[in-house]
Amino acid sequence: MEQPAPRVLVADDEDDIRGLVRLAVRRAGCTVVAEVADGTAALDAARAHVPDLAVLDVSMPGATGLEVCTALRAEAATAGVRVLLLSAGASAEDVARGLAAGADSYLAKPFSVAGLVARVRELSAGVPA
Amino acid sequence: MTALDQGPVVLDEAALLRAEVARLTDERDALRAQMQHRDGELEVATRMLAARAQTMTSVIDAVTEQSIIGTDLDGVVRVWNPGAEKLLGLPRAEVVRRRRITDFHLPEELAASGSGLTALVRVARVEGRDVRDWTYVTATGDERTVSVAVTPRSDDSGEHAGWNFVATDMTEVRAGERLKDQFVSLISHELRTPLSSILGYLELVLDDPDQPLTDEQRSYLGTVERNAQRLLRLVGDLLFTAQVEAGRFTLQPEDVDLPAVLRAAEETARVAAAAAGVQVDLELPAGGLVVRGDAVRLGQACDNLVSNAVKFTPAGGRVTLSLRAGWRSADGGFGDEELPGCTPVARIDVTDTGYGIPAAELDQLFTRFFRASTARRNAVKGVGLGLSITKAITTAHGGTLDVASTEGRGTTFTLTLPR
Repeated sequence: MEQPAPRVLVADDEDDIRGLVRLAVRRAGCTVVAEVADGTAALDAARAHVPDLAVLDVSMPGATGLEVCTALRAEAATAGVRVLLLSAGASAEDVARGLAAGADSYLAKPFSVAGLVARVRELSAGVPA
Repeated sequence: MTALDQGPVVLDEAALLRAEVARLTDERDALRAQMQHRDGELEVATRMLAARAQTMTSVIDAVTEQSIIGTDLDGVVRVWNPGAEKLLGLPRAEVVRRRRITDFHLPEELAASGSGLTALVRVARVEGRDVRDWTYVTATGDERTVSVAVTPRSDDSGEHAGWNFVATDMTEVRAGERLKDQFVSLISHELRTPLSSILGYLELVLDDPDQPLTDEQRSYLGTVERNAQRLLRLVGDLLFTAQVEAGRFTLQPEDVDLPAVLRAAEETARVAAAAAGVQVDLELPAGGLVVRGDAVRLGQACDNLVSNAVKFTPAGGRVTLSLRAGWRSADGGFGDEELPGCTPVARIDVTDTGYGIPAAELDQLFTRFFRASTARRNAVKGVGLGLSITKAITTAHGGTLDVASTEGRGTTFTLTLPR
């Protein structure tokens, strides 16, 4: 029996970037369960859908991607959601902060679409349906 | 003995007494004269001392924009100039002998560096001076960021008698620096985000197998992509420069394979070099050469040097990248053999046969936004950040960056890194 596609939450306050991420998620063979433009909505959507993977922008209104990530890790229902952070901050300190917040992976903007597809595929691989 | 016999004796005694009185009188006059002379000297010395004290006081009192506070060994204030009055809002009479220097500091800031006066003078006690930022708390409770120079104070016999604290109010300057930092971060973020969209959607169009582009369309979009990448590099350079200035530039040290770094730099420059008709040669040592450093930053430094060399070299010219191990002496000399006092280094030379740089401009070459006249004259593209960034990276690695150039004949940049 065919495994259902991994479910992905996309959160970024930039419409155009969300469009790119959506496309990359689909190319990676995943389904977008929710698309939101701020951190508070991201947290609500994660609680409602409990996705396999959350692709979160770091700089979002409401709550930052780092804060959303920390909150997800703190709640039993969402602690297992894998998190990929996207950020315009590309320094080693930025990456360290992201990983310290509990993210599984970090991608600096601008990212290549092919690179994002590979990262989403990698993170969603082996995720139980 | 008869009376006659005794007569001359009495006379002799009287003469002796008179002589003694005369001698004593002379001595008294001499002493008086000496005393008057000493009095005069004392008066002159007192006047000189008073004048000197007055000069010192007038100099210290004339300083209104720096706070000068002198304390005894226990930190009790003994000197409080008008600058201190102005900065901290208390008149001299209310402070001298009545307050301690630590009364004007944030207790938690002192606690973070030790405690009380010890925290303030810890470094100056060992090194003779210390300059750093502290926070002063004024009479009204305002907090001011001050740069304080601490030095020991001696008494007239040369004994350590206390401490001097000369402070400059840096509150506005530091706030400006923070603002600039935030501004650069904001600009960087705001530019990176649209660039992400530009480059991402370009990638989709260029790599779409279902709708292949014509060669002409691909060429136009290639130009768009190249310029977007150029803008991205500029944003990165500006952000990096701001980080260096703010002292927030850190390295991620690891073992770095330098031949690989140079091969990558040559590869990065290859397309631009071929387009410009410049030959790039690579001279690497037979064995490997590993240094401890930040691979990304060292790559950036080498990329900058090679890209500069290619840009500065006209068609038909040559750029050579060479790497070798050697020894650097304290005076900056370089040798292949180990000598006493020398440091083992890896040496990278990037040599071009290009336009060169006028001798008078060489010492400004590593200044931000500086562009050599030969760069402007020959329409070499750039904003003048690459070499200042390369210098910052080299210095952070404990290395050196030097340049030798002859206008019209070429330039060699030499970068050494401890190994």
